[in-house]
Amino acid sequence: MNWLSISSGAFITAFALYCVAFLLYVIAVIGRKWKNREPEGHLRKWGRIAFVFSSLGLAAHLVFFFTRWAGAGHIPTSNMYEFLTLLGMAIMIAFTILFAIYRSPLLGMFALPLTVLIIAYAAVFPQEVQPLVPSLQSNWLRLHVTGAALGEAFFAVGFAAGLMYLLRVTDYNDKSASARRSQRWLEFSLYVLIVVAGFIITVFAFRGSGYEASFVQENLSIDARGNEQLTTQTVEYQLPPIVKPHDSEPVSIQPFLGLDRPLFEAPGWMNGVNAGRKLNTVIWSVISGTILYGLLRLLARKPLGAAIHPLLDGIDPDDLDEISYRAIAIGFPIFTLGGLIFAMIWAEQAWGRFWGWDPKEVWALITWLFYSAYLHLRLSRGWHGLKSSWLSVIGFLIVMFTLIGVNLIIAGLHSYAGV
Amino acid sequence: MAALFENTKCECGHQNPPDTTLCESCGKPLGEEALSNRPLEMRYDGVARRSQKANPNLIDRIWNFFSSVKVAVVLIVITLIGAMLGTIYPQENTFINFDPAYYEENYGLAGKIYYALGLSHTYESWWFITLLVMIGASLVICSLDRVLPLYRALNKQQIRKHLQFLTRQRVTYAADLEGGDEEWTRKLAEQLRKKRFRVAAEQTALLAEKNRFSRWGPYINHIGLIIFLLAVLARAIPGWQLDEYVAVREGEAVPIPETNYYVKNIDFEVEYYSDDEMPDRLKGTMRPKRFETKAELYVCEANCGSTALEPVLRKVKTHDILVNDPLEYKGLKLYQFDYDTTPRLKAVRPVLMDLKSGESYGPFELSILEPESEYELGPYRLKLITRFLDFTVNASGEPANLSSQPNAPAFLFLIQGPDLPAEGETFFYFPIQTDRERFGQDLINGEMAERFDIRVTDMANVEFAGDVSYLNVRVDRALPFVFVGAFISLIGLVMGFYWQHRRVWLRIDDGRLTLGAHTNKNWYGLRAEVAAALRRAGLDVDPKSLDNGGKKE
Ligand code: HEM
Repeated sequence: MNWLSISSGAFITAFALYCVAFLLYVIAVIGRKWKNREPEGHLRKWGRIAFVFSSLGLAAHLVFFFTRWAGAGHIPTSNMYEFLTLLGMAIMIAFTILFAIYRSPLLGMFALPLTVLIIAYAAVFPQEVQPLVPSLQSNWLRLHVTGAALGEAFFAVGFAAGLMYLLRVTDYNDKSASARRSQRWLEFSLYVLIVVAGFIITVFAFRGSGYEASFVQENLSIDARGNEQLTTQTVEYQLPPIVKPHDSEPVSIQPFLGLDRPLFEAPGWMNGVNAGRKLNTVIWSVISGTILYGLLRLLARKPLGAAIHPLLDGIDPDDLDEISYRAIAIGFPIFTLGGLIFAMIWAEQAWGRFWGWDPKEVWALITWLFYSAYLHLRLSRGWHGLKSSWLSVIGFLIVMFTLIGVNLIIAGLHSYAGV
Repeated sequence: MAALFENTKCECGHQNPPDTTLCESCGKPLGEEALSNRPLEMRYDGVARRSQKANPNLIDRIWNFFSSVKVAVVLIVITLIGAMLGTIYPQENTFINFDPAYYEENYGLAGKIYYALGLSHTYESWWFITLLVMIGASLVICSLDRVLPLYRALNKQQIRKHLQFLTRQRVTYAADLEGGDEEWTRKLAEQLRKKRFRVAAEQTALLAEKNRFSRWGPYINHIGLIIFLLAVLARAIPGWQLDEYVAVREGEAVPIPETNYYVKNIDFEVEYYSDDEMPDRLKGTMRPKRFETKAELYVCEANCGSTALEPVLRKVKTHDILVNDPLEYKGLKLYQFDYDTTPRLKAVRPVLMDLKSGESYGPFELSILEPESEYELGPYRLKLITRFLDFTVNASGEPANLSSQPNAPAFLFLIQGPDLPAEGETFFYFPIQTDRERFGQDLINGEMAERFDIRVTDMANVEFAGDVSYLNVRVDRALPFVFVGAFISLIGLVMGFYWQHRRVWLRIDDGRLTLGAHTNKNWYGLRAEVAAALRRAGLDVDPKSLDNGGKKE
């Protein structure tokens, strides 16, 4: 029996179940207003069915996790793919806990797409099991990664509830300047989520069609002995090159819709490993996200926020505010322990220092400081409702930047960082 | 405004300190609080705090500044933004050899500005440290300002509260009852006890309370943070920190700088992943699986640091040092940092050949690191003029050393003996065959190359040095305090977030029940609990209807 093949089967099962559960939550929430229905009863019944499916999804996800653990011989938390699937799983655990407290099917309508997006994003990264270098062979590291993921998952659920609050209270009939500003920002937040979806769809579409292009890039570096070294590197593209790497020559390019050579070259300061390719991916994501957004907008014939707003009619905004805060309050001690304290213990064991001001560490600290500001503002300055929900959105942005942005952008700009 | 309400005696007869907003005894709203109808500000049960004193003097002003949560949030946000700036470009401490021109060369003008502003060492800069110190001051003062009044308020609580105190709680309920007042009070007390409240009752009034300890959570958290911050700042104390690197070759012992310890590398081993343990993409790469140094730690008891006398060493600890598993001895820690398994010559035993006669003399022991200054070989004498460890020819054509690692050893000898000039002739010798060709030994030696050769005749006469293990030596005396602080802080967080302080007040006046309830967070849970208790006692209420608003600013 092969653990790893069971594991990848379970992954696909979980993904499919999550998608179904999402649709069921949508039916539970919007079906309340269908004819010949008693709204409360409908919500309760379909909410329960949806919860069964999302729990089955979580069960499959747990099977994925533990069979991969068995197959790889170490807990699967050591690369981007494994970490993001873990994060998706943690979000489902956090969601299940909050659902048990508040019994709000509505939360599922927002938490599930977030999970789906995150694990689809995970699948963009290489999925093979990798052997661990010695510094990663540490139980403290494992505790750190799982703890941080769980804490962040509660922040993610806080974000989902905060976003719901915003969609619930934003008044699309109000034409005042301040109302327009919050409408615009809310629309922009939705747009960003759609760009992420656009990115994932694009990557899979071109991967499915087997698209390839490659460049050779010349890199002048000065080694420790003061000798100049000219190294050439091949950069493989899986999306058609709109931008080519700095100082590079095409080797082969499959034409795509008449695009048979790059339109621009990446600027010189983007000298990191694969910086050109990453820029190209960002451009593609924005393009496909914008197209996707445009299509949805055409379908709805109004801002997406205004289209979602009526679905939330009759939901008490105070409850959403409470759920969002509660999620963050539960997550904060977990994040403190997992994201910072375990990380410090591990760093101390592996490197002899508990703190080294490495960008990833600093961003974990920033996340923590941000949420502590959120808690203080809420407790002592009475920042509830609108302000607090916006903070939960910004907070989640910081979380995602810490998890992904730091690796992709900060590390990518610096030639010293390989990942 | 405060002057208007100088008379601080409550109608219940209790004398309150000035600026109290809720009577300390019966809870009747006082001062401005009495003028509104909105839910009460219950944060510290309305007690006066030092920071609210009228007519502040300078010390009061400083106290007020640091005790303000608004200021704390501003400090936290500035620190957060400062920390972000430090991640834009790599910090100076990430370079082994830092070159100030780096930023401009790599990032142009932005890099130049970054460096000029000192952002290249954000986390050591005076302003960043000042921010941390200010947060620390704020933590101390802020907590002192609140914890004592809060303690006083919670320590002596009256059971029967003023009616307005109950009706202006955020959770409140009133109903007319059938049946005896005292009996109802007992019935409700019973239900609340079942929900694990501690209930204090007098005839027709009661106070039910639980989880008061969770109110101390934030303060315990803050105490932990203060200890943590102090510990971090204490690392600047001389002698509290040591951070050194030592390179130890197998079989050798080296002194650890700034201590009287020696570390010996008994054996170093590295193990790589085999191809079938790796995915296709990585096959054929040398990916280390584990590396370890079997180490012994010695303390030096005499002749330490003397060049003439052998130091007297006593073994104190043996440990296999692995990544994630350092050797620890009395606060000193040795970490596996890196290794070098490049084969390097330790010694050769070559012979001197007289090419004319075909005669050879030797072999003689030529240690790379510690060669003798003279060798007597048959009729000849070899005098060592100089030795290079990592031979190169520099820009001006002179022989030079590239590094102090024995990568390309070379020896310059003076040969004296029969048929040679009295002062002797020079002869360059490269023990490594490839160096001999690379640097053209025969060309350098000219005519001498036709008369003599120094060569190793047998691989048995070549001795390689062992692997080098690089160890990082650390002392961090602040470490226990850092972790104690972090742990206390965590306990405080758990206390404050996973339990909530809930109180329910109830009074029945001639068949009219009035209930008020308060919690420091999780109102949803409080409403559900109160509604459930009322329901069990026979009063059916919807939890949501207990809400008296109050979140609305
Ligand atoms: C970065 C450092 C800090 C962290 C992580 C932190 C964390 C916390 C947390 C988690 C709470 C509980 C919040 C809640 O119950 O929702 C809290 C409460 C509080 N913090 Fe901080 N804090 C920090 C710094 C400060 C500072 C500098 C002050 C000083 C003004 C301060 C003042 C307070 C106050 C007054 C409370 C409310 C206590 C209560 O009313 O029960 N905090 N803090």
